[in-house]
Amino acid sequence: MEIKEFIKQVSEKLHNSIDIASRVIEKNGVQIGFVYLKSMTDNSIFSDAIFEPVSTFEGEFSFGAIKNLIQANDVSEIKEEEVVDKVLKGVVVVLFSNSEKILAVDILNFLTRTPSEPPTSPVIMGPREGFTEDVKTNITLLRRRFHSEDLVFENEFVGSSTKTQVVLAYLDGVADKKIVKEIKKRLSKIKIDGVVDSYYLITLLSDRPNSIMKQIGGSEKPDIVAAKLLEGRIALIVDNSPIVLTIPFVILEDFQNSNDYYTNYIYSTFLRFIRLLGIFIAVTGPGVYIALQLFHYNVLPLKYLITIADSTQQIPFTPFIEILFISLLFQILYEVSLRLPSYLGLATSIVGALILGDTGVKAGLISPPSVIVVAIAKIALYTVPEQGSQITIFQFIFLILGASVGLLGVIGGAIYVIAYANTIENFGTPYLAPFSPFIFSDNKDGLLVVPVNDMTNRPKSFKNAKVERKE
Amino acid sequence: MIREKSINAWQTGILLFFMFFANKILVLPSLLFSEAKFEGIFAVVFLFLLEFGLLILFYKLKVKYPSIKFYEMVKNCFGKITTKIVFFLVAVYFLGKIILLYNVTYIFFSNLIYRESNNFLFLACFLPVINHLAICGIRTIGRTAQIFFPAVVIVLIFSIAVGVFGIEGGVVVEQAKFVNIVFASLKHLSSFGDVIILFLFMDKIEIKKGEWKIVFSLSGASMISVLAVVLVFFLSYTYTSFLHPFAFFEILSFVKEYYGGLGRIDIISMVFIILLTYFQLAVYLKVFFVCFDGLFPKLDRVYSVLTFNFIFILITTFAVINLSKIILYGESYLPYLSLISFVIVPLCVIVALFGKKNKEKKE
Repeated sequence: MEIKEFIKQVSEKLHNSIDIASRVIEKNGVQIGFVYLKSMTDNSIFSDAIFEPVSTFEGEFSFGAIKNLIQANDVSEIKEEEVVDKVLKGVVVVLFSNSEKILAVDILNFLTRTPSEPPTSPVIMGPREGFTEDVKTNITLLRRRFHSEDLVFENEFVGSSTKTQVVLAYLDGVADKKIVKEIKKRLSKIKIDGVVDSYYLITLLSDRPNSIMKQIGGSEKPDIVAAKLLEGRIALIVDNSPIVLTIPFVILEDFQNSNDYYTNYIYSTFLRFIRLLGIFIAVTGPGVYIALQLFHYNVLPLKYLITIADSTQQIPFTPFIEILFISLLFQILYEVSLRLPSYLGLATSIVGALILGDTGVKAGLISPPSVIVVAIAKIALYTVPEQGSQITIFQFIFLILGASVGLLGVIGGAIYVIAYANTIENFGTPYLAPFSPFIFSDNKDGLLVVPVNDMTNRPKSFKNAKVERKE
Repeated sequence: MIREKSINAWQTGILLFFMFFANKILVLPSLLFSEAKFEGIFAVVFLFLLEFGLLILFYKLKVKYPSIKFYEMVKNCFGKITTKIVFFLVAVYFLGKIILLYNVTYIFFSNLIYRESNNFLFLACFLPVINHLAICGIRTIGRTAQIFFPAVVIVLIFSIAVGVFGIEGGVVVEQAKFVNIVFASLKHLSSFGDVIILFLFMDKIEIKKGEWKIVFSLSGASMISVLAVVLVFFLSYTYTSFLHPFAFFEILSFVKEYYGGLGRIDIISMVFIILLTYFQLAVYLKVFFVCFDGLFPKLDRVYSVLTFNFIFILITTFAVINLSKIILYGESYLPYLSLISFVIVPLCVIVALFGKKNKEKKE
């Protein structure tokens, strides 16, 4: 093999990218070449584990001798057509002028975040580790929790340009094989140029990709994903994403919080009801308020009616426009506070909440009850932040329904939405299980939370290979 | 993959629970009182007994033929033409029931809340929801009803309990004649007999051995609840019951400033009525679709949807809607069609049960 010519070909295939590095050592007419990406490889490891031992080697250069010299764990033989792919994955490729064989040495090392508490799921008690963007770290975080030969990791690659590594993790003998097979089938069918985050896969793997409903679970916490694996779910670890996806998903999962399992079960049950109430208020609160104000004022108690009438009589807008205006204002402030740096975000919140709200009321543009109703609904929305995007949309829909046809519309809308959710099945799992269809045993960790020793069975909401949890 | 299109015992029971309230808790108690005084409650008991008889018949049939379609069963016994006639009659009957229920609800709401509204506002509310439910199928209806069931039960128990506290009159025994009770029962036959919906969905109902008690318990509880509503209404308004057309709403209106702490609570009854009406209309519509499919098996679902919506909008737009006319329609014409519930369908079932023509369809 003509080493220099081969290295040149590889460089050209990679468009002579600036991070391509190559070294050639020659001894007694035998050349050894190294090709790798500087951006993906640790220079000191390359020097200590590969280059130094080879360059100081006093014997004859041969494939077998060099293979034994390299001080790395992952050394394998590859074919010529795999070279470019391996280089792109951060592997050091070793070429020999006196042999057609090629070695691949995996010393992949690039900057990664250390596992820290994820901002989306803080806990009062319990583990604070979170997944990172590095797939290997994420696998380690899961492997550390299972000293079992049943934990399986399988590799898939998605995206014609990104060739993103997607690792399927599941417990053999617990997860349903048919679901695993179905996930692999759907992954293999994905035709896309790139997957830059796990959320791409949510749309690509969902049964109803155009639906507003979230259909695949996601978590940044290894303890949560480990618990889901124990239940028989399958996890998808996507390289470059700290969100690990879990399949199958039921809406109940978003009502569950890791805190529930690290605190008293009675208190956890209470919190589940609070979350349900929160969702109910968040979705229907503004709609019901506007319905009562516009259509059903005659069924309101007189004292409430007088209070509302007193505070709204000077408002120049219709009640619907008023509520819509406050809701949109909140949404704008929310977006701004997300995008701005934290110090500016705080200032914006103060301007929004205190100055705009208070001045708006004093100027007679908005009424205090409307501000209170919208504020309660927006706060309640974050009792289940995972459902935030859907609930925000539904909030506006129910607001329009309440303003157009009153409670008749709000209740009709509620029935429609729940019926729609009932038509969704992900990987054969009813979306609203275990509430509808009602599965009694699954409600031990549904609206209620029972002590861990009473959770003797795995969920029946979705298929798994083994129902009993106790061996 | 789990791909069940059927409903289980709980969902069947809950649907029956909802259906037993249809057309019974708004205008019926007041009408019964005007015809049979306090003894009007015996008419409800009598008609419920008939309905329970239908349920037992369904149980027997389902045990004998767990997965056969009603259409096939009738066809095997009576031939294709008769089956088509039966399905046509059932479709007409349920279309009639939809119109009756919709109009009663419309009148109730337009009298009390939506005074300046028109029929189109109601159509815009009801049609998308009931069409969606009926198109999605009986399993979606059953599962959705299951979600709302706890709320319905809580509201119902609360309403009856509050109603009991609001009773001011004692038990008054009137002297209505037996013939009045029979006459009242026959006149309001169309408000009962909803159990026949089960026959039309019988291939979609999966009840395991030992789960029938759930269906019977929920049906029994529903019947008792309806009786309790009627009784509380009679005892609350005593001799003036016939002046109050919307029984369930009036019960809570009567005690609207209950202890001064809760304030007006009649809005609860309103929510309850809205909720039940949506489900009842959806189930009736689903029956209509099933019958349409039976009549025209080669036609796509879109035709049944278009047919229903066209007829329904036409009737509700051009027929003058007022309470007296709709009551006249409900009392004069629908009882004859109710023979479908109480005579024709049971007859078909009895023949199927004791005849030898049906063979269990193996799936």
